[in-house]
Amino acid sequence: MTRHPLVTVKKTDFDAAVAIATKGTHCGMCRIDFLGTGLCPSGKKHGYLAYWPQGRMELIKHLTDGTIPPTEALIEIAESCSLCGLCDKQCNFATQLRPEKVAQAIKDYVATLDTKDFLKIPKDAIVTGLQKIVGEKWATNDPVIIASYIRSIIAPNVPLDFYVVMPETTEQVSQIVQFANTNNMPFLPRSGGTALSVASPTVLANATNLEHGIIIDLLRMKRLEIHPESSTAVVGAGVTSFELQKEAYKHHLRANVAEAGAHVCANIATTGIVTTWGNSYGCFADNFIDLQLVDNDGVIKTHHDLEISNPYAVDNGFANISLSPPYIITETTVKLYPVFNDEEAVMVPFDNVEDALDAVIELGRRGVGLSLAVLSYKYLAEFICPTRQIATDFEDVCKNYLKLRYVLDVVCKKEDKQIVEDLLGYTIDESMLRTLILGSPKLASLKNSEFMKILSEEKDPLRAIFAGPMKKHLEQGLEATPANIAKVYDEDLQDFFKKIYAKPEFTDVVWLHAFRILPSRLMRQRMAMGPGGAIWAGDKAHILKWIKIFSDVGDKHRLEHALGFISPLDNGKFIYIEYDYFYDHNDPEAAGRISKTLLETTEQSLVLGGIFTLINYLFKGIYRKEHVLYPLPKGLTVEEDTMFKDVLHSLLGDIE
Amino acid sequence: MVKFLSDEWIEYGKEYIRRNLDPAKDLGNLTTSLHGVIEHVPPTDSTTTFYLELENGQLSDFILRVGATIPEKTPVFVITGTYGAYRDIFEGKVGTAMAILKNRIKLKGSKVEALKIIKQLDGLIDALRKVTDEFEEGPSPS
Repeated sequence: MTRHPLVTVKKTDFDAAVAIATKGTHCGMCRIDFLGTGLCPSGKKHGYLAYWPQGRMELIKHLTDGTIPPTEALIEIAESCSLCGLCDKQCNFATQLRPEKVAQAIKDYVATLDTKDFLKIPKDAIVTGLQKIVGEKWATNDPVIIASYIRSIIAPNVPLDFYVVMPETTEQVSQIVQFANTNNMPFLPRSGGTALSVASPTVLANATNLEHGIIIDLLRMKRLEIHPESSTAVVGAGVTSFELQKEAYKHHLRANVAEAGAHVCANIATTGIVTTWGNSYGCFADNFIDLQLVDNDGVIKTHHDLEISNPYAVDNGFANISLSPPYIITETTVKLYPVFNDEEAVMVPFDNVEDALDAVIELGRRGVGLSLAVLSYKYLAEFICPTRQIATDFEDVCKNYLKLRYVLDVVCKKEDKQIVEDLLGYTIDESMLRTLILGSPKLASLKNSEFMKILSEEKDPLRAIFAGPMKKHLEQGLEATPANIAKVYDEDLQDFFKKIYAKPEFTDVVWLHAFRILPSRLMRQRMAMGPGGAIWAGDKAHILKWIKIFSDVGDKHRLEHALGFISPLDNGKFIYIEYDYFYDHNDPEAAGRISKTLLETTEQSLVLGGIFTLINYLFKGIYRKEHVLYPLPKGLTVEEDTMFKDVLHSLLGDIE
Repeated sequence: MVKFLSDEWIEYGKEYIRRNLDPAKDLGNLTTSLHGVIEHVPPTDSTTTFYLELENGQLSDFILRVGATIPEKTPVFVITGTYGAYRDIFEGKVGTAMAILKNRIKLKGSKVEALKIIKQLDGLIDALRKVTDEFEEGPSPS
């Protein structure tokens, strides 16, 4: 028997590695260099998801359950990891997982196999044709590589009847689409894949995943040019929000971008970039100047082409549902905005949503703030707390002692800060926000303390602690230092995280808003699903009724839930609301409850009317907001509701 | 069982629909018509179109023609897709509504009107699925 000569120095418990992998949610943070450590060398070199920590975590589950055989690609996947430990640092910041153990376990597994055990996968006509377009390295039918895409474009438990191709140019994408059509193969582009992974455990999986065919992984399309003279950037389909923002900041410019790991082009296609900066920077087609697209026939189109038919023409109304992008956006030119020297982040706490809503709409209409939103206490806790347990305790402190249920969250220039203070009395300033970030473990630990009990008996505990005499005591008592927050991490990572939290940007709330590295924490070791959509800002009772729908349905289906954020759009005419549900993505019963919640909240929202639900929002990002949001559909009639149910049944089958 | 897009498929399909689908209960006494345009049909990479017409829930016409249209017919809807997309629909791998909403097939005509009749359309596809299980295998030559 000839063992494969992999060098392994230590044996990792395979079951422990699988347990780590099972907790992963495909947040994709291991594919961006948000800690300044550099990127996984293996993933960077080889591209396919299987070579990144995220892909290895998916892969090991399928090696374990025997659904895929070891192939020759597995040897390279195992060998290409140098166990440098970067993935542990990145993943630990976002999710507290240690994916290096997974890489080690794959190495150990490969080392136990005989060289004869590795299947050589024969090429077929499809993979040969794809390789002719992109080069031999960048198209594959190897099941080991394909399996790493399960749960982020392939549904679990389907035959792996797929190909993966990684084009580098728009022309190659065009040729791939034409090749797919000629060969009667369905295809779907994949970028960051996070939205697909969020949908994957739910009833939406069949709607968003590819059933079989060609996965077009756009990661290699990395063109990125900043044009400071015109405040624009040319962005290829493989460029992430983080990468664009990092380059833009070098020129004192800022892009309106989604979560750090989201790809800019795909995010434009999917939701038109929903951010808390939307009131100031725009939404839908406001976000770009030009697009380069490949249509479903493989034809390359650009928005600046004089011959193009109106690219913004789009159906309107509740039945305008799309479950796939209408085009593959291969490149976009986006607008960039100035970063001002006097920008500051401030927050104002509220104990009820009604007052918070009034405040955010008022400021939105006045055009106050660059980024403007109401966040729930849960959102705030998940973002700033370094671990789930600390976040849970922090929530408890906010809810039960401080009576802090919502914060108005504003990134603004100096003059706008004055308006916020004049309107609302006081703000939590940057210094206190820094204290809350670094001191979150300590604050969370004060749950059940005498201090908190005394504070909760104050008439207005929020004012007392953030603007009154107790502020000074809180700032001192939280012992908010990089060294202290680093203590919550595994011992071998504490020095590293002490240095990370000592970097100014990791406690700079403006930077954190712009680079959006913290939303990944919503998906740490469990899944978050955030339905919502747009609603007119003028009718407060209507908005509150809509929020209550989400809350009531969440209670009905016994889900952990809370408002995510409320952010104005179009000078306060609209607001976007995200409402979050949290659940164990490995529990089919919980996924079933999430599915019912999604369907019920969508139907009830459509019946309520005057709402543009998430299911309508999806894949409208390339159109003008004026076409998409005006007018919002009226509430469904009984006949339309029956039709909607028929469509859902046709799409999703019987979910009972 | 007959081959998809064969003359027998048309004849068996007509027979099956007339025998098994109730005009009121299954087809909602619907009056509508559609062209199904099927591109990249193997082995010749050709285009074939079928025309299907319902009048008050009764199948009044169902014909097949080589080419991208049947000029003498003016359907309410035109649904265009590759042979592979149609094969997936007729093999039950993907539903009609899903295929439309995922851009697997292109719809010319009102999406709202098409979704209104999706239940009946699913019934028709299901009936036609029951008479065919033979498809061209492999890609069209490029």
